[in-house]
Amino acid sequence: MKIGLEVHVQLPTRSKMFCSCPTEGDAEPNTRICPVCMGFPGSKPSLNGEALKLGLKLAKMLECSIPDTTWFSRKIYFYPDLAKNFQITQQETPVGLGGVYMLGDKPIRITRIHLEEDPGKIKRTSDGSSLIDYNRSGIPLAEIVTEPDISSPAEARKFLASLLADIRHTIDLEPDSERSVRCDCNISVGKERCEVKNVTGLKNVERALTFEVVRQTKILRAGGKIERETRHFDEERKVTTSARKKEFEADYGYINEPDLGTYHIARMASEIENKETPMEMAVRFENDYGMTAKAARQIISTDIRLAGFFEDLAAATDTETAKCLVSGVVSSNWKGFEPTKGSLDDIISMVRRFKEGKITDVECNMRVRCIMTGDEDTCRICSEDLDKIVGRALDENPSVIADYAANEKAANRIIGAVMKETGGTYSSAEIVSAVRRLITERL
Amino acid sequence: MDRETVIRVARSAHLELTEEEIELYRRDLEEILDYFRVLDDAPSSDDLLVNPVEVTDVLRSDEPHMEIPADTLLEDVNTYERYVRGPRVQ
Amino acid sequence: MIDLSKLPAINERYRMFSEITSEASADAEFAFSAKDNLTAVGFRARAGSAILEGYEPVFDAACVEKMRSAGGFLVGKTNMDEFGFGSFSVNSAYGVPRNPYDAERSCGGSSGGAACAAAVMDGHVALGVSTGGSIACPASFCGVYGMAPTYGRVSKHGLIDYGNSMDKVGILSGDAKDLGRYLPVISGEDRRDPTSCNHPPLAKKFRKLKSVALVRSETSAGVDAAIRAAEEELRSMSVDVEAVSMDTLRYALPAYYVLASAEGSTNIARYCGLRYGRQDGDLSMKFDDYFTSMRSQYLGEETKRRVILGTFTRMSGFRDKYYAKALGVRNAIISEYKKIFERFDAVLTPTMPFISPRFDEISGMSALESYRADVLSVPPNLSGLPHVSMPCGYSEGMPVGMMLTADHWNDDMLLSAAEDWQDRFTAIPPEVSL
Repeated sequence: MKIGLEVHVQLPTRSKMFCSCPTEGDAEPNTRICPVCMGFPGSKPSLNGEALKLGLKLAKMLECSIPDTTWFSRKIYFYPDLAKNFQITQQETPVGLGGVYMLGDKPIRITRIHLEEDPGKIKRTSDGSSLIDYNRSGIPLAEIVTEPDISSPAEARKFLASLLADIRHTIDLEPDSERSVRCDCNISVGKERCEVKNVTGLKNVERALTFEVVRQTKILRAGGKIERETRHFDEERKVTTSARKKEFEADYGYINEPDLGTYHIARMASEIENKETPMEMAVRFENDYGMTAKAARQIISTDIRLAGFFEDLAAATDTETAKCLVSGVVSSNWKGFEPTKGSLDDIISMVRRFKEGKITDVECNMRVRCIMTGDEDTCRICSEDLDKIVGRALDENPSVIADYAANEKAANRIIGAVMKETGGTYSSAEIVSAVRRLITERL
Repeated sequence: MDRETVIRVARSAHLELTEEEIELYRRDLEEILDYFRVLDDAPSSDDLLVNPVEVTDVLRSDEPHMEIPADTLLEDVNTYERYVRGPRVQ
Repeated sequence: MIDLSKLPAINERYRMFSEITSEASADAEFAFSAKDNLTAVGFRARAGSAILEGYEPVFDAACVEKMRSAGGFLVGKTNMDEFGFGSFSVNSAYGVPRNPYDAERSCGGSSGGAACAAAVMDGHVALGVSTGGSIACPASFCGVYGMAPTYGRVSKHGLIDYGNSMDKVGILSGDAKDLGRYLPVISGEDRRDPTSCNHPPLAKKFRKLKSVALVRSETSAGVDAAIRAAEEELRSMSVDVEAVSMDTLRYALPAYYVLASAEGSTNIARYCGLRYGRQDGDLSMKFDDYFTSMRSQYLGEETKRRVILGTFTRMSGFRDKYYAKALGVRNAIISEYKKIFERFDAVLTPTMPFISPRFDEISGMSALESYRADVLSVPPNLSGLPHVSMPCGYSEGMPVGMMLTADHWNDDMLLSAAEDWQDRFTAIPPEVSL
């Protein structure tokens, strides 16, 4: 089985690709439009430099070769959401060619990455006509095309999830619903392939591909022949259906786009400092921290932020301690944990206390888990010693309880006293929560 | 240049031709393409493939800005509740 | 004060405008017109096409905006071949402009209305557009000066596209000095049109033209005689004139028609009865059928011809043979020009091989025959080179034009040459009586 994907990602620019209309804001239809993205006669496109830069960052991330010069092309097809009845895209000189993406140990070859404009959106009405909103028209897209190196629907989903995480990391893409990923999926079980167009979201990609595997396998088992065709995925029924044979032949008749000129992208790319790619990071982890390739990838593929935290912890303590903690308790509690600067610092100071011999490894693990999960039982056990200290302070200052009822700031006196007494053994967050909890109990 | 090609090309360009038009354009295109054959022996080079003068590295900064209010733009457009009304797509 | 009271009567006779201002007079420094494929707030922009009926642009073309802020009053939009597709201005949905020297003859095209206005109206500056000769040809046929600058010299913001890699906004006028007066006004970088950016600016002090390479060509006897006389006149102005041959020029016409129709067919794709212009079709139709019916109904004969031709030349299987080849041929032609410009300031040819044809002659021409009329005006246009057409004689009472082509960005040499020529050449204005 061979699967290749064409992944469309909206790039996080503030203005559109070929005009200055905002990419976000008013959700009302046709509020973010101008003569350019409406294709009005007389309007001319001009390229958003940020879109090109983001495209080059992704091309570098995917280890593509970047041509010296690029230009855009017109891809001509007629559809009501396409304002000019041609799409400005890249045909001959995409921003990146011939890259590779490592999915764990497995290389997935990247055919190309190119930039293009998104069309508008169409709503169907009950009377049969359509309603078009051009707010999306001209939003910049990067299209990443893979070779047919993916071998199962599940792997396709895994690949997409991993690729998207890396894309987010590289171009600071916020995960939100509006900028969802769209895919064209090419799949062949036998010799001939089918393309399932415009599938939205990871789950649907896996579903559409799984449906195709079953469908194509059945046909082949029955001695039938797979017809090369374009298919649509019906999200509700979770099936793919043959796109009606085109009355109008899909001959895009590409020409070079003369309204924009050319761009020296190799030079531009050499000036772009990409963040370290996950793959580069894995290699460095092996070299710098003596990790196995598997362990390094394990940490990095879990979350790039986990990898970053590992480095911070190693710097604050030592490599062996960091490896032990991160591959153990931190990794196992990472899912569901929303890392903030404060919570990560708390973990680091806890590990420091362990290193200094103030707490045992068992206690350290437990306290780290408490910070990461906020799980009450764990926290209670962790807090037993702290509870005793706080209780004593409250015994010494009984008026605080009544004052707290009037003004919560009264707790600050106890918090301050406990902090002073414990001298950094506990994090401020821990102390605050323990003090509040114990005062409330005594109210 | 045969009838079928003229019809096929016109169809892809979203033009429906009458019988007279098909014959007219068939004849014209045959004559024109025949004349274009002189290009087969013409010298050629790949210096500039987009414009006849160099137009390079013209980029716009990523600043959102709307010069013409969207409502002004929609004044002459056939709309329904701000949506542009279009033909059937199913 | 500009008196506009005669405008309706003038237009009634010559049909050079597709729309005129409703004012009777204007308090402005000068009057100008814009070809109907340039947008101007307050006027429709239909580019000679019925499918654009109802399109009222909400923005000024850059050149219109600049002329207005320089004190110009826009008197109207000049008639033209639909989208610029033509050499005789007979392909317009809004009437056919009449040649002021002989109403039975063409004004040339596609900026025919602009040339006619420049010839008939005193002190009038006409903004025209040239893709393959659409300024030079009508300037020649109407006996006026017509300048198409280097590609990218003038912003195309607000220009309704024909062949984007060749479209240029230029100027036509009965007075050569207007070219030098107004080209600096409309020139310059405009971020709204990337092709106008990062170029050498127009020289403030126009350089003198010292030498020209004369390329002989097949023309009518009348045109030939006028050019020979002009040659002598140029020599007497101490310009070196030397005959040369340019082998690649014969490839220019086919290369131009391939590129222009390929690009043009993609530009015409957007006209489908949606968003602007004609929007009165039956929306319950399937979109393919809706688009097809609107386009078939409202696009003109020549537009359809070029759309079919252009779609064919970029179709897979033919793209390399036609479109890609033509791009390469253009480079070869530019290279040959550049070699000539190492030795000469400009190339001299007749603008058109014959005087303006009569309408009955035009209707008898095949498509290819009318394309061939552009054989001399196409090469500089294909190559993005600045060129100026100047009246240089008369044959059968009709004007003959000669064309100077200079190297990229040497527009200033042509402007000074036109002014110097005007000092020497006595033009015979058409008889206009109202």
